[in-house]
Amino acid sequence: MKKLFLGLFLVGFTSFLGGCGDDPEPENIPELITKVTLTFTPTGGSPFVVTATDPDGEGSQDLQIDGPITLVKGTPYTLAIELINGLYDPGEDGYNITEEVRSEGEEHQFFFSWSDGSFSVPTGTGNIGSNGVVNYQDEDESGLPIGLTTEWTTATTPVSGKSFRIVLKHQPGIKSSTSTSADGESDLDITFGLTIN
Amino acid sequence: MQLCCNLRKALLSVIILVHGTSLLSGQPPCNLIISGKVLDETGKPLPGATIWIKELNLGLVSTAEGTYSFTQLCPGTYSLEFKFLGFETQQRSVDLVKSEWVDIRLLTTNEILEEVVISDHREVVSKGNNFSTLSAKQLDEVKGRSLGETLQGVTGVNTIQTGPAIFKPVIHGVHSQRILILNNGIRQEGQQWGAEHAPEIDPFIATNLVVIKDAGAIKYGTDAIGGVVVVTPAELPADQPIGGDFHLIGNSNGRAGIVSGLLEGSILKSKGWGWRVQGTSKTSGDSHAADYNLSNTGFRELNYSASTGYHKENKGFEIFYSHFNTTIGILRGASTNSTEDLENAFEREPPQYTEDFTYAIDQPRQEVSHDLVKLNGHIRNGKNLFNLQYGFQYNNREEYDVRRGSLKEVPALGYKLFTQTLDFEWETTLRSGRSRSRGINGMWQDNNKIDGTQTIPFIPNFTNYSGGLFWIEKISTPRWDWDFGARYDYRYYEVAGFDFKNELYRSTLSFGNASAAAGATFKLNRTSSLTSNLGSTWRPPNVAELYSLGTHQSAAAIEYGLLLDETTNEVLDLNEVDFKLEQALKWVNTYRMESGPWQVELSGYLNYIYNYIYLKPRGVTQNTRGVFPYFRYSQTNASFLGADFMAHYTLTTALTVKTKISLLRAADETQEDYLIFIPSNRAEVSFRYQLDKVGSWKDFYVDLTGNYVARQNRAPRVIPIEDIIDAKEMGVDILAQDPRNFDFLPPPEAYFLLGANLGISKPIHNSLLHFRISIQNALNESYREYTNRMRYYADDLGRNVTIALKYSF
Repeated sequence: MKKLFLGLFLVGFTSFLGGCGDDPEPENIPELITKVTLTFTPTGGSPFVVTATDPDGEGSQDLQIDGPITLVKGTPYTLAIELINGLYDPGEDGYNITEEVRSEGEEHQFFFSWSDGSFSVPTGTGNIGSNGVVNYQDEDESGLPIGLTTEWTTATTPVSGKSFRIVLKHQPGIKSSTSTSADGESDLDITFGLTIN
Repeated sequence: MQLCCNLRKALLSVIILVHGTSLLSGQPPCNLIISGKVLDETGKPLPGATIWIKELNLGLVSTAEGTYSFTQLCPGTYSLEFKFLGFETQQRSVDLVKSEWVDIRLLTTNEILEEVVISDHREVVSKGNNFSTLSAKQLDEVKGRSLGETLQGVTGVNTIQTGPAIFKPVIHGVHSQRILILNNGIRQEGQQWGAEHAPEIDPFIATNLVVIKDAGAIKYGTDAIGGVVVVTPAELPADQPIGGDFHLIGNSNGRAGIVSGLLEGSILKSKGWGWRVQGTSKTSGDSHAADYNLSNTGFRELNYSASTGYHKENKGFEIFYSHFNTTIGILRGASTNSTEDLENAFEREPPQYTEDFTYAIDQPRQEVSHDLVKLNGHIRNGKNLFNLQYGFQYNNREEYDVRRGSLKEVPALGYKLFTQTLDFEWETTLRSGRSRSRGINGMWQDNNKIDGTQTIPFIPNFTNYSGGLFWIEKISTPRWDWDFGARYDYRYYEVAGFDFKNELYRSTLSFGNASAAAGATFKLNRTSSLTSNLGSTWRPPNVAELYSLGTHQSAAAIEYGLLLDETTNEVLDLNEVDFKLEQALKWVNTYRMESGPWQVELSGYLNYIYNYIYLKPRGVTQNTRGVFPYFRYSQTNASFLGADFMAHYTLTTALTVKTKISLLRAADETQEDYLIFIPSNRAEVSFRYQLDKVGSWKDFYVDLTGNYVARQNRAPRVIPIEDIIDAKEMGVDILAQDPRNFDFLPPPEAYFLLGANLGISKPIHNSLLHFRISIQNALNESYREYTNRMRYYADDLGRNVTIALKYSF
């Protein structure tokens, strides 16, 4: 009995004498978006680029938002959005998240809102919290908009001190022709300043 | 690295030493006496009751005064059986070292208010403790519920809840790392830092549940700041044919089915060898609030255990294995990515993604398994009793979130925690009425992240070496029972984790401190007693409190550990921050009275916790997903002042009334502020009608229970999300300006729930068939509970009808 007892204890403690821990493996962090670039390209002109950069991911430092977005009045623009994960080096898989959002277009949609009077096309204040129109130039496999590419025409009168907000929603299984910016979870929510000269 | 290996060697030599001591032997004298009185529930003597000592096949009949006396007994463990027609048969296990006086109260009722609790020859509670017990009978009436939910039956115990399946016990207002759970004598070690991490224990293994409400329950080590929950399985049968029971339970809410079975017996050729196997399976679909389905709140559970052991007068040995496995869905509408999402979620009722009932469990969900192997043995040698116990635990936790694409199938948080514990205790019976106990506890723990989660780990990998020594003295006089104890504990951590830049950091930390407790019970007269216990205890900080980084499942808030720099978030060493050990001073007083038709228990307590570690709101930050409040683990002084009251009045032999009230006020003393998630005041009244016999049926009962839960008026200020976001846009950080506690929503309103139970048993030859039907929230009330974390998103559970069948043989 006593030998059995002792034996079992020794078995239990074998792992005690095992090796001490090694360094843990670092994880890839593919979901983090640390940099968002908005490129407004006028037809035939030079593009205007604005970025928002997160210096520390889950850290407590604020997002650095450049801007304001400065556009020329009465001009049509194509807006392209690029999403970057700065934990990866450029060229590495995982650095550019834009393509991932595009390929999973059926679960994602960008929503936009802006100060009234900033654009002549579309009119209104956008589709965040209201039912405005946005000129989406891309679509997912079901023919629903994604919003990585959109078209805008600035107002004919200059404005300043206005705002332009983009929200990327993850809507797995619920994206539809009637889903709105209040559905799903936010992957992105940034407000830029806007000036039209 | 060198130190960790040395520690292992040191611990190993302790084990060898322990084995050395247990080899001592001697001849015990056979002149001991077990005597006492058999009483009925009102305290009147019961003449003519039979008392059996099973091991000796020796029987007696109680005298006209209800007394009995067995003489010329050798030291050993005896099972006493008390029988009297019309009363419930009761068993007592007596560890005879000195002559014992055992009074027994036989009940016609189903209620057993107080029992002596002995687990594997270790006394779980002493007479100087304030404790409450849920007996086997009481547990039977709530079978099928989770451990945390079951414990709510104890006055002063509440839960922090996350939806319908996750219940964390809260004793006198504190929970998680501040409560110790002993599963079959072993410290339960899981990822207890999370408020949504429930204890991984199947309550079907328990024959009783004991809650010790004192701080510094000295035997069990650090962390028992709020108290100890003791889950005790029945003693293994020593000399019995095969027996067991089988449960079949169905719940209307969640359309849940529960099957549980237990089989036990002894190996008859070799007297003293017993065995038991047990298993439970639960399946529940989405639960239902009063008015809508709660999508993705189903759960599945599969648990089993096996044990065998050998018990003789002077020695015993047991091996126990248990496995617990659960998959729990978290309300889909509670999954949010930003404060804007959270605001949307608050406003929606029913919650977003509410769909029709299903058994399917999608993201977000938790998958948790827990394995325990326990070996223990005891040897009695004259006045000395040696206990040695080894435990191995493996806890695996994976949390799945709503993530992009293929990451859905990858846990966002995953940890494997290995724990080994070794406990040695040496008890000595000194001259009459005095005993002494001392012991050593050792623990080794290794936490590793599950690779491939593709998230920055929320807590680091760590190895934890802990050791402790304790000494307890007990003195018994006819009117007084005293106990004094002290212990010293040391903990050493080796930590390796990743900071916000996903860069590796390594640290080592050590903590050491002493605990002490003193308790006494004074018998005021034949019917009443007063127990007072004062304990000072401490706990080493949990790794999560030191190093947490990130956003928690379904909480739109970022959490930072104590060791993260306030501005740069770089990981600091312990000596670079102003850290003090958390220490508690808890004073609990209980008055007990049993007289005539009355049974009354009144407890008052004060728990003052110095350097209380909590999540303090510190500011608002912005990342690409929007604006987030962030919290840092910080320290303050906190106080918990409360009272528990229980009264039981027997109107007639068949009709009883029972009342339970618990009151609590908790405060952040340093900031003169309220703490969040503190259970509100509540009261319960139940009427119970019972009959011993109804024709060929027995044990009939029907009860009606009303539960009133007050609104928590002592709650932190409310700051709506909108205000936080709006202010941030104006460049104002509301929380940095005023770091008092806050809540996004005000506490929910008070509520009243009605429930009823009915049970009856049918004896069939040597077996018993028991039926039970229960209804909870009978009026299908829409309500929200302040301590349920899902209250932000959805109503609590609607009506539930339970039908249960138990077959015992």
